[in-house]
Amino acid sequence: MTTFAVNPEMVKQLTQAHAEPLGLARRRNQAYQLWTDSTLPEIRQFKFRNWDFFDPLTIQWQNSDPQLLDQTQVLKQNQGLVQFGQTTTAVHLSADLEEQGVILSDIFSAFQMYPELLEQYFNRAWEQITTDQLLNYNNAFFTSGIFLYIPPQTVISEPLELQIIQDSTRKQPLISHCLIVVAENSAVTIDEHLSTVGANSNQANLCTEVLAGANSQVKFAALDELAEATTFYFRKQALLADNAHIEWSVGLMNSGNTVGQIESRLAAPGSRADSNVIAVTEGQQQVGINNTAINEAPHTVSNINQHGVLLNDSQLVFNGIGNIIHGAHGSQAEQKNKILMMSNQAVGKANPILFIHENDVEAGHAASVGPVDPSQLYYLTSRGIPYAQAKRLVIRGFLGSVIGSVTSKATRQRMIAVLERKLQRE
Amino acid sequence: MKADQEQSAKPILKGVNLVLKTGEIHAIMGPNGTGKSTLAETIMGNPTYQVTQGDILLNGESILSMPVDERARKGLFLAMQYPAEIRGVTNAEFLRTAINARRPDDERLSITDFLQELNKNLDLLEMDQAMIERYLNEGFSGGEKKRNEILQLLMIKPEFAILDEIDSGLDIDALKIVARGVNSMRGSGFGSLIITHYQRLLDYIVPDTVHIMIDGKISQTGGPELAAQLEKEGYKDLETAAK
Repeated sequence: MTTFAVNPEMVKQLTQAHAEPLGLARRRNQAYQLWTDSTLPEIRQFKFRNWDFFDPLTIQWQNSDPQLLDQTQVLKQNQGLVQFGQTTTAVHLSADLEEQGVILSDIFSAFQMYPELLEQYFNRAWEQITTDQLLNYNNAFFTSGIFLYIPPQTVISEPLELQIIQDSTRKQPLISHCLIVVAENSAVTIDEHLSTVGANSNQANLCTEVLAGANSQVKFAALDELAEATTFYFRKQALLADNAHIEWSVGLMNSGNTVGQIESRLAAPGSRADSNVIAVTEGQQQVGINNTAINEAPHTVSNINQHGVLLNDSQLVFNGIGNIIHGAHGSQAEQKNKILMMSNQAVGKANPILFIHENDVEAGHAASVGPVDPSQLYYLTSRGIPYAQAKRLVIRGFLGSVIGSVTSKATRQRMIAVLERKLQRE
Repeated sequence: MKADQEQSAKPILKGVNLVLKTGEIHAIMGPNGTGKSTLAETIMGNPTYQVTQGDILLNGESILSMPVDERARKGLFLAMQYPAEIRGVTNAEFLRTAINARRPDDERLSITDFLQELNKNLDLLEMDQAMIERYLNEGFSGGEKKRNEILQLLMIKPEFAILDEIDSGLDIDALKIVARGVNSMRGSGFGSLIITHYQRLLDYIVPDTVHIMIDGKISQTGGPELAAQLEKEGYKDLETAAK
């Protein structure tokens, strides 16, 4: 067991203790410098400066015991990978896909086995010198992660399941960096599931980059249900090549405080991003989300669709950020941010933010914050459905457009089950 | 009974005395704005209306203090003039939930029985199978919504149904189909109150009793011939008489 003091040496020790290749050590060093110089990202109208995101002294290499996982935290028929803390507990990829050149492994094995791929793709989704302190922290100190590579001309019809399970049976942050490369003309559906085992108060920092090659199709569904004692930062970012299409369907069902950024960079002509997010907040929970689409190239299309439900004394801020860069003519940027207030004590905000630096474009936004429509409740109760159940149906309906966009039936059902559980507690 | 709408606090119903029995179909006719729909909504318990005087009894029991869902489970049903659209909840799921809401936990309707009953009723109403997987009333045409109200009536099988202008916006073929659905419910265990502007509907669902409502009151009661007379003479004379 190795523990580190907060200084540049600790990065070196982290990398030495793990016998990491030089390339990774160099990256960690650079990220450490950036971390110390950068600041927290801005989430408009959301205060989180005093949250406890950094605790490098608790970072160490250690294994987690797969015996602690429950039946939902293993792979059944699905292909995919399960990571519990820093331990990869299952990888299942058919011989067929392996033969086609698909790679699915933990990120550190990938650095050892596929150095040229990692050199080419790692940290490519975002700008090289990022000002996001939480991303820089992740890059300096990540102790888990997944690498998925889909070679060109490979269409995978069955969803790949990625399970990331935080080990909070002890004091230990989850710092995970996932890299997903979908090469040209390929298609994949990814079901990511995030959960917690144990009740310790911990941080989680998950940065996922998706590089979508020309004409590729990526469907990325995520169901996050981290525990109440987890302070969570996530960043999900896609960089899209010509005519690539990404569809995010993100269900934020965490119980703890969460700051997140989803960003789609439409960097080449004809690329398209649909970014669907639902969130249910409860108790004293505070959640702030930036959902950003950047139309960098001509004829690109972005759709942001965020629906949130607030219970109890919780707080939820949805910022939809559309940014059309000069030169991205013929592009479209649409967004909808809707918030349903189930309590007078909750604080919900839906902010559409548009930056348009090109004339020949279409952009639009809709935002609403309000209570449940009483005429819907009246209608349902008039058929004998009890009030509380009618309310749950309306909420499910409100979130339905995003739940409906999830391809995998199992994930969809799971999302509904988690949602029902949250609403039952109300 | 008297009732007014909460926001404007304007009295709408000014003394309505009605007795409905199972096995009977009553019709209420009357010009626009006389309180027919208010009567329907008040009996169902729509919270935007307030009863200022009188009582509503179901099988001898006052339902005034009961919330809407409880009234429904006691056997009341209202086919609404403007059914709400609810996205994300399919027709099938909604129907099963509504049916099971009035059954004890250990007597839930099995999926097979549910589908069998549903298919039978879809056929009767000449409704497309695809309707059941669509979201509840979302994007339905006016006619589809009316049929869907009657589908619910047939599936839920209430003791008393109030049908609020289920004929509005229907062409003659659709009207016949809707009437066929309602007539299939007729029997000793079912009573209904049909609200309509026009006699046309009553050609297909022949009522036992017809009431005329003018200015928040029942001004006249008679047999089916009253509707025919009204169709000929209009409401004008009755309105003048009421004043």
